[in-house]
Amino acid sequence: MWGYLAQLAADSSLNIWIAETYWLWPVLEIIHFIGLTLLLGGLLIIDLRMAGHIRVVKPALTHQLLPFVIFGFALNLVTGVLFFVGDPGRYSINIGFQIKMVLVVIAGLNALLYHWKVSPLMEGLTEDSSSPLIARCTAYTSLAMWTGVLLTGRLIPYVGTG
Amino acid sequence: MLVTLESTAIARWVGESLYAYPALLACHIIGLAIVVGIFSMRDLKLLGFFPDLDIRVFGSLNRLALSGFAINAMSGLLLFSSQASYLATSVPFLTKIACIAAGMSLAYRLRPAVLLAASMSGSPRLASPGLNVMAALSLAIWMGAIIAGRLIAYLF
Repeated sequence: MWGYLAQLAADSSLNIWIAETYWLWPVLEIIHFIGLTLLLGGLLIIDLRMAGHIRVVKPALTHQLLPFVIFGFALNLVTGVLFFVGDPGRYSINIGFQIKMVLVVIAGLNALLYHWKVSPLMEGLTEDSSSPLIARCTAYTSLAMWTGVLLTGRLIPYVGTG
Repeated sequence: MLVTLESTAIARWVGESLYAYPALLACHIIGLAIVVGIFSMRDLKLLGFFPDLDIRVFGSLNRLALSGFAINAMSGLLLFSSQASYLATSVPFLTKIACIAAGMSLAYRLRPAVLLAASMSGSPRLASPGLNVMAALSLAIWMGAIIAGRLIAYLF
């Protein structure tokens, strides 16, 4: 799959533009870092509350942070796709990148579980209610996956081919 | 002095070991997400977003934010030690350090106890002009720290 996507990317005119625009790569990296702070900053609060910590607010109130989490993810999806299109030969065979993508998919499925099953469950909870097991599992899975995404992403320049 | 730092055993380990530098960078990005993540959400809250989110949340997160800062102070110092004489005159590096110093002193001015007192004094959205300005400044400074930090790899 990665080989096919890499070929598709390498043949695109976007690939040439990204490779030839010398200032673009650091700008994309900066946006990618800002996106990750919004994503992780919001999720940290939502997930810790969902797991039963920071009990000074009702869990449902932390959901106001979600637009910033989604905005951070959108920034990183766009910049991430541009990284891949700009240097497909490097990413498609990189084990750090491949593991990172698997973790992003697991985090995404976990977010769907949150949206359909857990979020409605959190609506009725007060400051004092204890978090249901499924909420704690979803919260810790989310934190673990995104921590893994940060680690594997940062190690892409240092690890070998998959 | 910087050259002395670079020649210490630990600095040479950071520079020469196959694993030390990437492992420290990995710690550094976790700390970044914790510190800038929490502080930027606090700043957005002070700027009027998340109106229903109680400001006391950031009191509960204060220790975590400071732990993130400790992770990055330590990993950052070790990363610095391996390239001390180069970084000491690098404009993006010095800009990043200035941003962090400014961001942390604003974090002290915006510490949870102060915010709680401000929220007790009646303003439901903490819309006091001083806090707004400090929050906007803090957000800009932390974004500046990220921009400068990333540019260390590109500019001198």
